[in-house]
Amino acid sequence: MPATRIDDRIVRVDAAAKARGEAMYACDYTFPDMLYAYMIRSSIPRGTIDSIDIPKLPDGYYFISAKDIPPEGKNELWMIAKDWRCFADGDVRYVGETIGLLVGPDRNMLRYLSDHIEIKYTEQEPAISIDDAIAVKGGPIVGSDNTLCQLFVEKGRPMEEIFKEADSVFEETFETGFQEHVHLETNAAIATIEDGRYTIYASAQCPFYINKAIAGLLGLQPSDVVVKQTTTGGAFGGKEHFPDVLCGPLLVAEYKIKKPIKLVFDREEDMLYSVKRHPSKITYRTALDKDGNILGIDGLVYYNGGPYLSGTYVVLQRGVFHANGVYNIPNTYVKGIGIATNTFPSDAFRGFGAPQTLFAIETHMEHIAKKFGFDPAEYKSRYFIKKDEETITNGHIIERVMLPEMLEKVAEASDYWRKSKEYETGSGRGIGISFYNHGGAFTGNGEQAIIKAHARLVKTGDRVRIEVGSTEMGQGFQTSLRKIAAATLEIPIENVDYDNPDTSRVPDSGPTAASRSTMIVGRLIQRCGEEMKERWNEGDFSVEKEYEHPEGHPWDQNTFRGDAYLGYGWGCAAVEVEADKLTNEIKVVGIWSCHDIGHAIDELIVHGQVNGGIVQSLGYASMEKMENRKGYFKQSSMSDYVIPTSMEFPKQEWSLVENPYEWGPFGAKGMGELVFNGADAAYIDAVERALGITVHKIPMPPEDIEEALDAE
Amino acid sequence: MGEMIYIPTTLEEALRIRKETGAHLLAGGSDIMVQGKRGIGLHPELPYPVMIITSIPELKGITDNGDGTVTIGALTIPSEIASSNIVPWHVRKAAAGMGAIALRNTATIGGNIGNASPKGDLPQPLILLDAEVVLSSESGERRMLLDDFILGAKKTALREDEIIKGVVIPAHSFTYSYYRKIGMRRANAISKLSLSAAAVVKDGEIIDFRASSGAAGPKVIRSREAENILKGHMVAELPELKESFLSAWNDAISPHAMPEYRRHTTRRMLEYFIDEIIRGAEPGIIGED
Repeated sequence: MPATRIDDRIVRVDAAAKARGEAMYACDYTFPDMLYAYMIRSSIPRGTIDSIDIPKLPDGYYFISAKDIPPEGKNELWMIAKDWRCFADGDVRYVGETIGLLVGPDRNMLRYLSDHIEIKYTEQEPAISIDDAIAVKGGPIVGSDNTLCQLFVEKGRPMEEIFKEADSVFEETFETGFQEHVHLETNAAIATIEDGRYTIYASAQCPFYINKAIAGLLGLQPSDVVVKQTTTGGAFGGKEHFPDVLCGPLLVAEYKIKKPIKLVFDREEDMLYSVKRHPSKITYRTALDKDGNILGIDGLVYYNGGPYLSGTYVVLQRGVFHANGVYNIPNTYVKGIGIATNTFPSDAFRGFGAPQTLFAIETHMEHIAKKFGFDPAEYKSRYFIKKDEETITNGHIIERVMLPEMLEKVAEASDYWRKSKEYETGSGRGIGISFYNHGGAFTGNGEQAIIKAHARLVKTGDRVRIEVGSTEMGQGFQTSLRKIAAATLEIPIENVDYDNPDTSRVPDSGPTAASRSTMIVGRLIQRCGEEMKERWNEGDFSVEKEYEHPEGHPWDQNTFRGDAYLGYGWGCAAVEVEADKLTNEIKVVGIWSCHDIGHAIDELIVHGQVNGGIVQSLGYASMEKMENRKGYFKQSSMSDYVIPTSMEFPKQEWSLVENPYEWGPFGAKGMGELVFNGADAAYIDAVERALGITVHKIPMPPEDIEEALDAE
Repeated sequence: MGEMIYIPTTLEEALRIRKETGAHLLAGGSDIMVQGKRGIGLHPELPYPVMIITSIPELKGITDNGDGTVTIGALTIPSEIASSNIVPWHVRKAAAGMGAIALRNTATIGGNIGNASPKGDLPQPLILLDAEVVLSSESGERRMLLDDFILGAKKTALREDEIIKGVVIPAHSFTYSYYRKIGMRRANAISKLSLSAAAVVKDGEIIDFRASSGAAGPKVIRSREAENILKGHMVAELPELKESFLSAWNDAISPHAMPEYRRHTTRRMLEYFIDEIIRGAEPGIIGED
């Protein structure tokens, strides 16, 4: 077999097993004497629990709750903070909060028992929307004013001076909604005991997050709990911290029962009782001179975090750090507030806080352009940030920024300039364009200070095994990482093994999140491979490497100043639409994109990510509406929460620019989230032009377009 | 746990069971199984006895009755309806746009009628066409207008001992036809709003004018009162009559959720259809590329 080269086009290593139905997902596993679990949840958004009446349980059935946590354990899930309780105890803070776990051999009986559990509450007035939380409706959920977390960044001169000098001030507020991940495989996990150790099988992105989050429930160390990732059918961030919420109660049940216990959410549970993308409310006040030049931007960013911190602070940071988009704005002050509400806690979702602010800044810039009679693309391009220029966090752009070239490519492919000029506003046809980026990997020095990723290659004969905690979740990492190893070692990819991680066997290479896997873990494997190649004839041995942060790129996590990201992915997308003026249905007739991801490790996988990311972003902008009424999600199935089908959008035209990244494997940067970050704004721009409306929120299904038309 | 399940193989047997037990009817199961779902790994459970009528031959197929009318058996699936060349256009169009391919191969016209959801795809064009439903019981057959059969959301005039045998669609020869379904997306979607309209124009006179609105009230809306505003008048009079028709139609519908969108869109679609007639559009289907 020939050695695999990095630019070879290869079939994904997991494709055949998944297509044949041979891949084993969590719900496919059975063990002798296995029991099932059913989650008992809060049915109110806020209140105290007065009583829990459990029907008489038949032999072999258990009700596990906070009372079952041993004295040496604590009722907390250690995510980033430890505020999210494993089991609600005394009070409940959102609909769907875990109160207990029913466990037993027969799922019919579990369902029967769950129907007969009676929980009495004293209800309190909940705060559901960001506005409710700001108004401290029903009293504070956290602190005195519901602030879960906050930060600000500033660049340039004080904003008071800037606004004094301004000829005009343009202020707009944007809102974005909840978004549900709709991973094909619902959340699922199994707890058992193997070789005397608590063992978790889980559909998850980050196996090492799980043992860290749950070990403390039993007063154990993370390494006392083994986590084995099962083939994961999609995640999108929804299986980053959230598996902890399944695995925690399962571990407590395992401690009591000592038999294998399986918990699988059905689709309705997964829709109603799982984390979502943070809804946002973002206000920009922009100081302008008489010609429409931007003097400075003052931003206020609210993210609805739900009642527990979970990933909100980190999501919010990324949102704030992307609040200037791809632009060099001379003077900026942006404040971000993560606010507590009584909705299901919000958490990671592809883009991780960046999509909300990027949508807002893109649409805001486009509105300013139109106000002053400029073409949005031309106007925006004046502000494209360049290499060495100052970022919103007072750091610098380290790489060459190829946005001008990317705009040229997309404009040429889409015939943007002609269409932008010729399609009249309100004519029913419109083209829109957007620019976006995504900082690769953890913010600042997080890779060094927080994660300290390790990766290992093990050589046995002529086979090489990759040992990392990074996971395949459908994004193609088992293929691209094998490819990096094979290309570095100059061996066939067939000789490289990479199993789903088991935390007792592999080093912690950090979470599979933040578009960091190829960029960071890929580079570690490349470094392992380089050494292994030199020592190839030494027989069987292994090489392990630790992440090393490039010198000269300081970051202060206390003040949020410095180089927030060492490498960004960059994107430009154009979307053309036709609006049906009878029904307000929008038909997308063209999608063009160009991305800078450094160098593509596998063009087929990249193509899939570009297609999928853009379609998901268009769904976010157009149809994915998740409403929360009085604390209850209204959409509970895939027929009322709709995501795009293959019939929605036309074939995409896409391209890449080559811009190798110094510290990435074969020049690669992160890209999985980047491709989600911008098509929404291009779509809204196109819809606005086609119908002559001004949009300040997403999603915009036809009935919301109707409202916008009425408002004109 | 679990009520009785009956699986008759002939209509006679089915009618007997229906009379004796009042068992609910399961044809394709695409509604009833969803109603009874209880979660992963569990069989659906329904609080009433169920009769699975899927394999009863007398209830299947599409028949040209020779007099211009067409009978569609209750167990006929949407994909068969969509591809039949004897089924009227409005009904074929609605059948072709129902749910996903799998649903179109599973659901039945009888079930879609019996479920009586205002969002159901097939009742809307059938009511436009004055289709009749044939109801069978041990005491014989009766026929009634589908519009009368469906009483409201999830309510029908079906008697405890009856089974929907099929629908009979009268002959029509429309000069102009219009159909739109607005789903939450372009495929595999439940109807957000739907509209059928049709007109017969002869020598400048509007011999017939009708419309039906789906998902715009507790049941499919026909308004003869509104239709009569236009019927019998000349096309030349349409510009002055249009507004009172649109206003009467708007009074007839009663959308609950997204009322503005549903009202305005219905109005715009009807106005467009009328304007096309005024304009003297080529006879045929209006609004298809």
